[in-house]
Amino acid sequence: MKINTKDLLSGAILILLAVVGYWLNQEHALGNARRMGPGYMPMLTFWILGGLGLAVFLIALFSGPNPLDKWTKLEILAVPLAIAVFFITYFVFDALKLFTGNYYVLGSAMFVGCVVLAVAPGWRPLGLVHAGFALFGLMLEQFGLMLALVGCIVVASLADPDHRPKGVIGMIIFLCALCWWVFIKELDIRVPVWPQFL
Amino acid sequence: MGARVGLVQRRGVIAGMGAITLLPGAARAQAGFPAQPLRLIVPFAPAGTTDLTARLVAQGLGERLGQTVVVENRPGAGAMVGSEAVARSTADGYTLVMSNIASHAISPSLYPTGAVRYDPVRDFTHIALVTSNPSVWVANLRSGIADVAALLQRARSQRGGLDVASSGAGSSNHLLIVQLAQVAGVSLNHVPYRGAGPAMTAVIAGEVPAMSDSLPSAAAHVRQGSVRAIAMSSETRHPGFPEVPTFREQGLDIVSTSWFGISGPAGLPAAVVARLNAEIRAVLATQEVRARFAEFGGTPGDMDAAAYGRFVAAEFARWAPVVKASGAEAG
Amino acid sequence: MELLLQNLGHGFGVALTIDNLLFALLGCLIGTAIGVLPGIGPVATISLLLPITFGQPATTAIIMLAGIYYGAQYGGSTTAILLNLPGEVSSVVTTLEGYKMARNGRAGAALTIAALGSFFAGTVATILVAASGPLLTSIALSFGPADYFSLMLLGLIISAVLAQGSVLKSIGMVVFGVALGLVGTDVQTGQQRFTFGVPELSDGIGFVSIAMGMFGIAEIILNLERPEARSVLTQKVGSLFLTKEEFRRATPAVLRGTVVGSLLGILPGGGASLASFGSYMMERKVSRGRAQFGNGAIEGVAGPESANNAASQTSFIPLLTLGIPANAVMALMVGALIIQGIQPGPRMVEAQPDLFWGLIASMWIGNLMLLVINLPMIGMWVKLLQVPYKYLYPSILVFCAIGVYSLNNNVFDVYQTVIFGILGYIFSKLRMEPAPLLIGFVLGPMMEEHLRRAMLLSRGDATVFIERPISATMLGIGAVAILAMALPSLRKGKDKALAE
Repeated sequence: MKINTKDLLSGAILILLAVVGYWLNQEHALGNARRMGPGYMPMLTFWILGGLGLAVFLIALFSGPNPLDKWTKLEILAVPLAIAVFFITYFVFDALKLFTGNYYVLGSAMFVGCVVLAVAPGWRPLGLVHAGFALFGLMLEQFGLMLALVGCIVVASLADPDHRPKGVIGMIIFLCALCWWVFIKELDIRVPVWPQFL
Repeated sequence: MGARVGLVQRRGVIAGMGAITLLPGAARAQAGFPAQPLRLIVPFAPAGTTDLTARLVAQGLGERLGQTVVVENRPGAGAMVGSEAVARSTADGYTLVMSNIASHAISPSLYPTGAVRYDPVRDFTHIALVTSNPSVWVANLRSGIADVAALLQRARSQRGGLDVASSGAGSSNHLLIVQLAQVAGVSLNHVPYRGAGPAMTAVIAGEVPAMSDSLPSAAAHVRQGSVRAIAMSSETRHPGFPEVPTFREQGLDIVSTSWFGISGPAGLPAAVVARLNAEIRAVLATQEVRARFAEFGGTPGDMDAAAYGRFVAAEFARWAPVVKASGAEAG
Repeated sequence: MELLLQNLGHGFGVALTIDNLLFALLGCLIGTAIGVLPGIGPVATISLLLPITFGQPATTAIIMLAGIYYGAQYGGSTTAILLNLPGEVSSVVTTLEGYKMARNGRAGAALTIAALGSFFAGTVATILVAASGPLLTSIALSFGPADYFSLMLLGLIISAVLAQGSVLKSIGMVVFGVALGLVGTDVQTGQQRFTFGVPELSDGIGFVSIAMGMFGIAEIILNLERPEARSVLTQKVGSLFLTKEEFRRATPAVLRGTVVGSLLGILPGGGASLASFGSYMMERKVSRGRAQFGNGAIEGVAGPESANNAASQTSFIPLLTLGIPANAVMALMVGALIIQGIQPGPRMVEAQPDLFWGLIASMWIGNLMLLVINLPMIGMWVKLLQVPYKYLYPSILVFCAIGVYSLNNNVFDVYQTVIFGILGYIFSKLRMEPAPLLIGFVLGPMMEEHLRRAMLLSRGDATVFIERPISATMLGIGAVAILAMALPSLRKGKDKALAE
């Protein structure tokens, strides 16, 4: 009996999604076959999803071996830590009512969570690329497009150890100019360009 | 252009945060309004009647004000996402919304309390009515339904009621179906579609015998005779379609119009409101705009700001019980 | 036939004026540019440009808008092939073999066959629209909700063949996609489902957010984790032209793709989105290079790209003959025409011959222009891959970020993309394919809608699905497809068991 770890986890994810979805679907009326309620199709979907997940899970018990990449201790530690930090940040910020509206709380929590994840060298690309993306969202409407670009590029660049400060500065100047030309001058998208509090 | 747009956005965005409002916007706005481009938020996706109407008016309004009026689409949640953004913006007249029957009369009753984050009357300064149009009921050419009497007769004889299509659950056209079933005491089987286009296809193909549609989206099909218009929900016959009788003429007391207007956040300076109202009405009075509205059956509005405010309040009050009765819900 | 030639001659007379040619060129250029930018789609661009068209003659306006529409599709396949970034449903399929080809150093060939195939398919489909548009309309009208349901179900079944690995897992991903598609307002009742009180979710999760996160951003991270893989991507560019062998393999794929795409494009409401992967599935089963699928088979680019372009031409048929828009871009065109005082519909051919035949002629001219614009640019696009990856990936990232924000001018979409990026990364580590998920996401909501409508109209009688001939045929093909898929894998499983 050789376990196919990848498939085992895939099956588990599908089952988990099906169970959560099925549970959330409890609040929707099922209706009848003639006039199906909003809960009818989700119910069918989650049953099928759960069934498929179970099949994948069971087959995976015998179809291996197909192990995951080895995780270092730091990597193992960083994942629950990042998830915990995400939720703590979210609820603390939400309770403080420091920022309201526009999903600042959600964005900040994502940013902080992704940065914490990047503590482990193995998660650095995953954490920092997403942190840069979230930072872009956080900065865009208050600090303007240009600074949001700078923030996003700087954080994302840290994901690649090859980067040197000079190259990053050059890239920032080039991309800011390019984005200004393409999105502001030519396409005229609706977005603040410069900081809003000046 | 970019920098100027950035300036306009600043106000909306700061207010959007809700927490910090640094600029005494109202005080600054009055002197020499408008000093910058205006933003007109359309709470629907591009295309569609609201968007087209907004762009048409924005162009003329921009010319008259001497400032660009930038149309911005912010769709979502029965037109409530875009309307909420405007309700929260600085009250200086630079951020406006295309208020309409969905965002300001139906959706606030349709959605659960938590999802409705504004009061359609108190959180806005309603500026001007842009256009209103009746609904028209159309039938498939081979269905044998030529008038309301035939429709009602079919509704009574058919098992499970007569199928009637609409552009979507919770739309004013859906509510009209509910209303008609109540008034006439017949059973109608509402068949919702994803927008007016697919519903019209279904009627032409004979998949559904009849449909309740807004005049702008149905006008072309009625004119070219691909469907038969059986009744109009206006009080009197529509000047563009004098051959189509009203519901009232056919013995059913049903009058319903859908409408679009322009509104801003609550507490706009009176001078700004007066200026905008005057310019919008001037745009609506031009031959060009009248001709284009007439094309899709819209009647240009001509109300002062206070009248439009009262109109919105009356519509909001009128639709709430109909929404309840329809059983449609978004929660 | 003579009449057709005469009409087409008339059309070319209209389309070949300097003004119209210029605006067709402008439309194609804008379209290509926005197609290359992730997230910025033709709908947003056309609505921005709509006021400009108020001042132009109707024919000129519509020619330009049509240019933007198919220009965007050309541009979209460029990023799909080079950067694994599908901007639209149709280019999801192109990433499968196209991006693999790019990694094998055949990016130039992939782009070339995409352009040539699209041009050929566009030409054939244009002739089809001109010759038998009104006739084909009746096909579209004969599809009822039961037939659409069965078509979508068939689509979902065959989308499992997009899988590169386990069929069972990929069906799981299809169903997961269907589940994601449930988020938002229920069309039948207007009720909010799985939105957690977030108004931005009431119109469903954005396709672009999922596609960008699961394909584009997840791919960036995987490349960053494998420094050796990026050098492969940036060093090998290879010849831009097709080898004789590639050309021989691609030609039948283009022909089959054209047929599949032309037919599916006629169906309003989802036909066109089935075109490209319908063709992919076909190639995977019948083409001579089917063994290479998953490793950069040229048939997997040639067929779907042709099908996609053919479908985008024939999707004009419901618009021109019934006045009914098949998708959001078409809805904008109707808007543009109405503002011009023209009612699209059956009488348009007689009432506005200049517009009708001029548009058809300019469709072909637009396709030719796109070919002329794009072929020389392929060299330039491919050079883009020689930019060191450490500079390329932040650029992709910021273009994605701006693009995804500008969809709704809403930062929520940016955060949503982060979630799908992380999910996409996990999936790729577990060998769970994102392509079937996206297909399920697109087709699922349509399937639900048609299922419920069919049952509503039949008063709850499920036999409509087998009583209607079209529906019954689709279901039959679906059943055969399941058997065909199940048998070999069962056999394989048995072999494996015996070997042990």
